[in-house]
Amino acid sequence: MSELKENLKAQIIEQLSLEDLTPADIKDDAPLFGDEGLGLDSIDALEFIVLLESNYGIKIADPSKGREIFHSVNSLAAFIESNQ
Amino acid sequence: MSAVITSIVSIGHQDSFGKENIWETLQPLGTQSEVVAPDYKTYISPASLRRFSPVLRMALTAAQVCQNETVLPFDAISVGTSLGCLKDTERFLQTFITATGDTLSPTAFIQSTHNTIAGAISMALGNHSYNMTHTQNSLSFETALIDGLLCIQEGKKSVLVGAADEAIEFLELLKPQVIQSAFPFTSGATFLSLQPEGNGTKKAVMDCSVHFNNTNTEEAIATFLKNNQVDSDTIELVLFAGEIPRTIGAKQVNYEQYTGLYYSSAAFACHLATDYALSKEKYILIVNHQVNGKLGLTLIR
Amino acid sequence: MEIFVTGIGAISCIGNNVQEHFDTLIAERSGIKKGSHPHSERFLVGEVPLTNEELIDRFQLKINGSRTGLLGCVAAKEAFSGHLLREDIRTGVISGTSVGGMDVSEIQYRSYMNNGTHDISKYKEHSSGNSSEEIALELGIDGFVNTISTACSSAANAIMMGARMIRSGALDRVIVGGTDALSEFTISGFRSLMIFDEEWCRPFDESRKGLNLGEGAGFIVIESAASIEKSGSTSLARLKGWSNASDAYHQTASSPDGYGATLSISEAMKVANLKPEDIDYINAHGTATPNNDLSESKAIMQVFGEQIPPFSSTKAFTGHTLAAAGGLEAVFSVLAIQHGYLFANLNHRNAIEETKLVPVTRTTKVETIRNVLSNSFGFGGNNSTIILGEL
Repeated sequence: MSELKENLKAQIIEQLSLEDLTPADIKDDAPLFGDEGLGLDSIDALEFIVLLESNYGIKIADPSKGREIFHSVNSLAAFIESNQ
Repeated sequence: MSAVITSIVSIGHQDSFGKENIWETLQPLGTQSEVVAPDYKTYISPASLRRFSPVLRMALTAAQVCQNETVLPFDAISVGTSLGCLKDTERFLQTFITATGDTLSPTAFIQSTHNTIAGAISMALGNHSYNMTHTQNSLSFETALIDGLLCIQEGKKSVLVGAADEAIEFLELLKPQVIQSAFPFTSGATFLSLQPEGNGTKKAVMDCSVHFNNTNTEEAIATFLKNNQVDSDTIELVLFAGEIPRTIGAKQVNYEQYTGLYYSSAAFACHLATDYALSKEKYILIVNHQVNGKLGLTLIR
Repeated sequence: MEIFVTGIGAISCIGNNVQEHFDTLIAERSGIKKGSHPHSERFLVGEVPLTNEELIDRFQLKINGSRTGLLGCVAAKEAFSGHLLREDIRTGVISGTSVGGMDVSEIQYRSYMNNGTHDISKYKEHSSGNSSEEIALELGIDGFVNTISTACSSAANAIMMGARMIRSGALDRVIVGGTDALSEFTISGFRSLMIFDEEWCRPFDESRKGLNLGEGAGFIVIESAASIEKSGSTSLARLKGWSNASDAYHQTASSPDGYGATLSISEAMKVANLKPEDIDYINAHGTATPNNDLSESKAIMQVFGEQIPPFSSTKAFTGHTLAAAGGLEAVFSVLAIQHGYLFANLNHRNAIEETKLVPVTRTTKVETIRNVLSNSFGFGGNNSTIILGEL
């Protein structure tokens, strides 16, 4: 699980062009969206859907389902684990 | 139709950003020149910066500085771009051509539309006013400027007019078959604040006109000057691109040697005109004849 | 200064000319169906069922350029038919497009990426400005040409720019509108945004999921009274109001409260000097995305309060034709005024719960339509409204 999370952080940084961040800057349980977290927005949510399909073969057809799944690195990792 | 230029900012291959007078650092471009970029982080929020292509960064920074130097918030924004956000356009072409899965990365598509530039400016400035994007090949800046002058004529008090274009490597493949030019493709953004007459210490744009089937440049210039009641003897400087008749103006400067090739570079000529030490009662004429048959004329006082 | 509409022209999946559009709107027949190209066959789209060669042949076009240019020429030619060019009527072309000649470039670029070969000469069609210059050439107009590219509000903004040029005295007569061809680029783009509906789009319905794309062109000819005195053109309607405002909220989404849209609607009514009760029909932007229709509904409610005029989105007929939408819908607005019809908002069953607003669900004959308000909203928060009215 922790390896998955580390990989995810690197993939997030690449997919969302978060050039100024390193994986260590992203906390496992910190919210990714909104002003309190990384400040990601709805465009990033679509990029997450692409990331899940291209890296993990998981498809999400309805973008509105994404918000909960993409809440934090923890929730993302849990979703990937249970869908692979 | 005339308006005062109260602020003008350029980012491009010249070291022009933040300069009082851009003539002082002006250098003809070499073949390998690059954009002289300011530190964009000072002007653009990190959340936007991470997605923004060079043309967006250049345009947004220039627009932001124009707003900083203008007391009144802009009540209209008019942007000209000839080829728009080319880098993201090419990136999205590559995205869907090489795609194997069901999903496609949307960011390049979102930022590929021409009005991404003006839209990003409205968002960064929190500006809810008139927001327009003009694209007309080599006359893209002039059509945006005509709209800006129209806004002033209609009673707007503070109008942002700008032009921005970016080069991608692919463009060079189009020479010489589709595009003929001795200059290398380059990138550039120039933004200016226009206000009604009486508000400025710098220069004024007196008029701008565009011609699409120009066969007689000399005649077009003569008519344009006559319409503005300006005697051709009072033209002190002609800033030109492409071929123009040699008989006009005391001094003629080809501005493309400083900008390189992009099709809204007449905006940079406007900056050169604004910073030029012009004698009293004299005028500057910008003659944009980058593409044969298409003529843009801008008169500066 | 009064501005008159003296010509209309349209092409889309529901017709090759204005009459066919009118008949189809009356018959409540959508033109949206399964796409016929490799890039469109997975989707429901509003394609014009003619190839480029067929367009050139059938409409005897002199121009042979991008599909965007061809569609534009067809509609502009119809709008301008019966009008004569005269030295003393300064005539311009102002057209909106979002992708310009991308339909040509994307084929060459794919070939270039796949095997390194492409026909370089084809890229001369790419630039968006070309489609407008081609329309001017087709019509023999050598005056002012201007292309507006503000995504889905482009045509409405072109109409607005034309009106302002006439009012300022810079032009006497302008052919204004917009054109966009379906391309793999746009289909892929909207796919990446995940806002396609795999079924028929359902504007203003609680169950709406997204849009169907379409292609086409819509143009109107606008003239000053002085120009009409010389041209002898017959007026069909008046162009009374226009406005553009910026939502300044998000790169693609509309603000939840419809702030920019509210600004543009109210400002257009100010320009037209009309009160809410003077508007008899709203041709809404109504793309059928969850976000647009809610945001637009809220803007309409803000401006019109309790007395909301009959409204509908005609996008379920044509699909969302992007930069052409405001042009086609201006033509529909003129038809509504001329013939006294409210056009159906197809596929509507249940009102959006949050707003309870019910659009016109059947094409309906009414006594009279004095003024029509037409919205067009584009990416980047670009909101435009035009108002057309009876003579």
